[in-house]
Amino acid sequence: MSYLLLLPELLLISLALVIVLLGLMISDRSKNLLGYLSAGGLLASIVFILAIKGEGSFFYDAFVVDPLSQIFKLIFAVVSLLAVIASVTYFKGSRNQDEYYALLLLATVGMMVVASANDLVALFVGFELASMATYVLAGFEKRNPASLEAALKYFVIGSLSSALMLFGMSLVYGITGYTSIPGIIEFFTTNPQAATGAINIVAMLFLVAGFAFKMALVPFHMWAPDTYEGSPTVVSALLAAGSKKMGFVAAFKVLVLALVAMRADIQLAFAVLAVVTMTYGNIVAISQRSIKRMLAYSSIAQAGYISLAFVAITPEMSQMAIGGGILLALGHALMKGGAFIAVAVVGYMVLSDNRNVKNTDDLEHFAGLGKRAPITAFAMLVFLLALAGIPPSAGFIGKFVIFYSITVDAVIQASGWMLFIVIVAILNSALSIYYYARVIRYMYVLPPAGERIKEPTPYVVAIVLALIGTIGIGVYPEPFIQMAMDAAKVLGV
Amino acid sequence: MSGLISLMIIIPLIGAILTFLTRTRGQARIVAILASGLSLVLSLLLFMRFDSSIPTIQFGESYVWISSLGINLKFGLDGIGLPLVLLANIIIPLTIIFAWGETKQANRFYGLILLEQVGVLGVFTSLDFFVFYIFWEVVLIPMYFLISIWGGPRKDYSAIKFFIYTHVASLVMLLAIFSLYFNALSITGTPNFDIFHLLKNYQVMDGWLIQDIITLKDAIFLALLFGFIVKMPAVPFHTWLPDAHVEAPTAGSVILAALLLKMGGYGLFRIILPILPYSDSHGILISLMAIIGVLSILYGTFLALAQRDLKKMVAYSSISHMGFVMLGAAALIPLSVSGAMYQQFSHGLITGILFMSCGVIQHSAGTRIIGDLGGIAKHMPRLTFLMLAGFLASLGLPGMSGFIAEFLVLVNSYFTLPTFVILALFGIVFTAGYHLWAMQRAVFGTYNQKLGHIHDIASYEMVSMSVLVLLVIFFGLNPGPVLNMMTTNAEQLLEFVVLRGVIT
Repeated sequence: MSYLLLLPELLLISLALVIVLLGLMISDRSKNLLGYLSAGGLLASIVFILAIKGEGSFFYDAFVVDPLSQIFKLIFAVVSLLAVIASVTYFKGSRNQDEYYALLLLATVGMMVVASANDLVALFVGFELASMATYVLAGFEKRNPASLEAALKYFVIGSLSSALMLFGMSLVYGITGYTSIPGIIEFFTTNPQAATGAINIVAMLFLVAGFAFKMALVPFHMWAPDTYEGSPTVVSALLAAGSKKMGFVAAFKVLVLALVAMRADIQLAFAVLAVVTMTYGNIVAISQRSIKRMLAYSSIAQAGYISLAFVAITPEMSQMAIGGGILLALGHALMKGGAFIAVAVVGYMVLSDNRNVKNTDDLEHFAGLGKRAPITAFAMLVFLLALAGIPPSAGFIGKFVIFYSITVDAVIQASGWMLFIVIVAILNSALSIYYYARVIRYMYVLPPAGERIKEPTPYVVAIVLALIGTIGIGVYPEPFIQMAMDAAKVLGV
Repeated sequence: MSGLISLMIIIPLIGAILTFLTRTRGQARIVAILASGLSLVLSLLLFMRFDSSIPTIQFGESYVWISSLGINLKFGLDGIGLPLVLLANIIIPLTIIFAWGETKQANRFYGLILLEQVGVLGVFTSLDFFVFYIFWEVVLIPMYFLISIWGGPRKDYSAIKFFIYTHVASLVMLLAIFSLYFNALSITGTPNFDIFHLLKNYQVMDGWLIQDIITLKDAIFLALLFGFIVKMPAVPFHTWLPDAHVEAPTAGSVILAALLLKMGGYGLFRIILPILPYSDSHGILISLMAIIGVLSILYGTFLALAQRDLKKMVAYSSISHMGFVMLGAAALIPLSVSGAMYQQFSHGLITGILFMSCGVIQHSAGTRIIGDLGGIAKHMPRLTFLMLAGFLASLGLPGMSGFIAEFLVLVNSYFTLPTFVILALFGIVFTAGYHLWAMQRAVFGTYNQKLGHIHDIASYEMVSMSVLVLLVIFFGLNPGPVLNMMTTNAEQLLEFVVLRGVIT
C-alpha cells in the first residue's frame, strides 16, 4: 500500500492552502501568478494520476484507488485545468484571485474524494467539500446580480439534494448496519431476505433523487440552466463539465454496486429518467437564445444519454454500457468545458467592443465569429459537432458504445421497450443537431458584427487543449476505451 | 501495390487543409485542382492495374485502429467500388474547374469540395463497417456548409433539413450495424467490424426482434435499406433532395447528385444484395424494393414534368433515374444488377452536365424559371449544344451512357419482375417528354426580350462540361472498361441467389 497513490489529492490540498497563504502576502497586482501556479499544480496532479500505477485502499478502506477512481480523477483534474487556464484571463486583475483558485482546487479535491470514496460517509464528505466550494465560485462575481442569483439557487437546491442523499444513506445504514459499500453488498448477499423490503425502495428513491440533482436529470434539473447562465463562464465550465460528473461517479458507485445487491429495479427508474431527460433537454435547448443556457440544456440532454448506462440489464452489456457512460462522461467534460470557454472568449470579445453589454452570451454575438476569432470559432464548431455525436470525435465514441450496448441488450432480451428507448435516443441525437447547427450557422454564415480580435493566449491554450482531447479521443480511442472498460470492470456485478 | 488507396484519400485531405490556409482565390483553386487531380491520377493508376476478371477485393490494405472493438482501417476495391471511385475523382476536379470563378470565401469553398472528395472516396473504399459509417457521416458536414454558406434564399431550411434527415437515416443504419456486429461477435467470439465478416455471419442469425411480428434478420435488413434509400433517395423518403438541390450552389448540386446519391446505391450492392437471399422473408423484401424503385421512377418523372424551375426538374429527374438503380438491383439478374451499377456511374456523369447547365443559365440569365426563359439558344449557342447533349443522354438516347444502363436494367429485369418493368416503361415515355419539353420552352423558340443581353458560357465552365459530354459519349459507345468489372462482381453477388432458390 503506497501512499504515493494519494499524491494527486495531497498535492492539490497543500497547493490550495499555500495559495491562500500567499494571497495574504503578495500584492494584488502579482496575484495573476497564482493562476499559473494552480495550473502547474493541476498539471502535476494529472501526471501523477496517469503515471503512478497501482491500486490501494486507505483509511480503513474508506478511500480506494482503482481504475474507476482514476479515470474520474482524470476528468476532474482536466476540467479544472481548463477552467484555471481560462480563468487567468477571465479574472485578470481581480483582487480575489487567491480565494478563487484555492476554492477551485478544493472543489477539485472534493470531486476526487468522491471518485475514490468506498464508504458512504467519505462519499458525503467529498460531495460537500466540492459543493461548498462551488457554491462560492458560482457567486464569485459579487457585483453581478445574475451571478448571485445563480449561486443562491444553486446553494438552496444543492443543500436540499445533500439532505435527501444523506437521508437515503441513513436509511441504508439503518437497514444494513454498514456504511462501507462492500459491507452493504456483503450484508445483502448474506441476507437475501432483507433485500425485498419496501424500505429499500424508499432508500433508493432518496439516493436517486440526491444524485439526480447533481447529475441534473429531469425533474431535478431546475437549478442547472440558471446557475450555468449566471455563474462566471469559467465556473459554468467547471460545473457542467466537472461537478456534474461527480454525481455520476457517486451514482455508479452506490447505485450499481450497492443497490443491485438490493435487487431494486433501478433499470426501469433510470430508463424513464434518461428518456425524459434527454428529450426535455433537447427540446428546451432549441428555443434558447443565450448560448450558456443552450449549453446547459444540452448538458441536461447529455446527462440523459449518460444515464442510459444504468439501463442495460444483461451483465455483459451492463458493464459495457457503464464503460460507454464513463467514456461519454470523459468526452463530455472536454467538449462542454471547451464550449463554455469558447463562450467566455465571445464574452471577452463583446465586452472589448462595448463595456456595457449585459447578455454577452447571446446568439447574435456569435455572428461571423469564424472571421472575428477563427481559432475559437473552429474549436466551437468541433465541440458542437462532437456534442451532436458526429464522428470522429469523443462525443461519437461515447455515444457509440452506449447505444451499442443498449441496442444489443434490446436484441438479446427481444425487448420492445428497450428498443423504444434506443429509438428515442437516436431521434434526440438528430434533434440536437438543429440547435447546434444554428450556432454554427451564426459563426460561419452570417456576416461579422465587428473587427477581428486577438484571442487572449490563455483562452486559446485552454480551447486548443480541449480540442486536442475531443478529436484525439475520437481518432485514437483505444487507450480511453481500455481505461473506461477497466473502470467499468471495477463495478462488475 | 498496397497503400495507393489510402494515399488517394489522404491527398485531398491534405489538399483541403492547405486550401483552407491559402489567402487568395488564385492559390486556393490551384491547390484544390492539384490535390483532386493527383487523386484522379492515382485512381486511374488503380483502374489500369485492376483485373476485371476476378470478383475479389484488390489493392487491399489494413491497419489496426481500435483493437479492443476489432476496428481496422481496411480499404480495398472491387468492381462495385472502383467505378464509383473513378466517378468521384472525375467529378470533383471538373467541379472545381467549373467553379473556377468562385469569389465568395474561395479558400473555404474549394476546401469543402475537397473534403467531400475525402468522404465519398472513403465510403467507396472502406471495408470496415465502422470506418464506412464514419466516412458516411463525415460527408454530411461539408455539404451542410456548401449549402448554408453559398446557397440560395431558403438555404438555412434546406441545409438543416438535409443534415437532420440523412443523419436520422444513418443512425438507423447504425443500429443495424450494432446488431450485425454483436451477432458476429457472439458467433465467433472475436470482435471484428469487417463488412464481409459481418455479412457472412448474418446468414446464421436467428430469432425475433419482436416476437411474432418481425424477425431480427428482417429488421436488420429494413434498417439498412432505410439508411440507403434515404440517401439515394427513393420515394417516399426523397423530400430533402429537391430542397437541398434547389438551394445548393451549382458545385454543391453536382457533388450531391453525382456522388452523394451514389452512396445509397453503393450500399445496395455492397451490403443489401449479399444479405438479401438470407433474409427471412426475401420474397416480400424483393417486392418492396421493386415497388420503391418503380415508384421512384414514375413519381420522380411526373414531378419533374410539373416543375417550373429548371433545377428542380433536374433534381426530380435524379430521383427517377435512381429508381432504375433500385429496380435493377431488385431484379437479381446479373445483367440487371450490373446495369444498375452502370446507371450509377452514368447518371453521375450526366447529372453533372444537367446541373452545370442550370448553373450557367442561372448565372447568365438570372433566372431558372422555365417560363421566364425562352430562345436563349440564339445568345448561348455553345451552352445549348452541351446542354442538349446532356438532356439527350439523360432521356436515354442510344449512343450515350444512360441508354446502356437503362436498357440493361429494363430488358433483364423483365425476367423476374415483368409487371414492374412494364410500369417503368411508362416512365420512360414521360422522361423523354419532360426533357424535350423543357428544352423547347427554355432554350429554343423565340427569344424572351425581358432577359436583356445575356452572355454565353464561360471558358472554364465549357471545359468541364465538354469533358463530361465526351465521357458520356465514350462510355455510351464503349461501356466495356467499366461494365466488365461490374458484371464480374454482379455474377458473384448473385451466385447465392440461385443457390438459395430466391429466384428460379
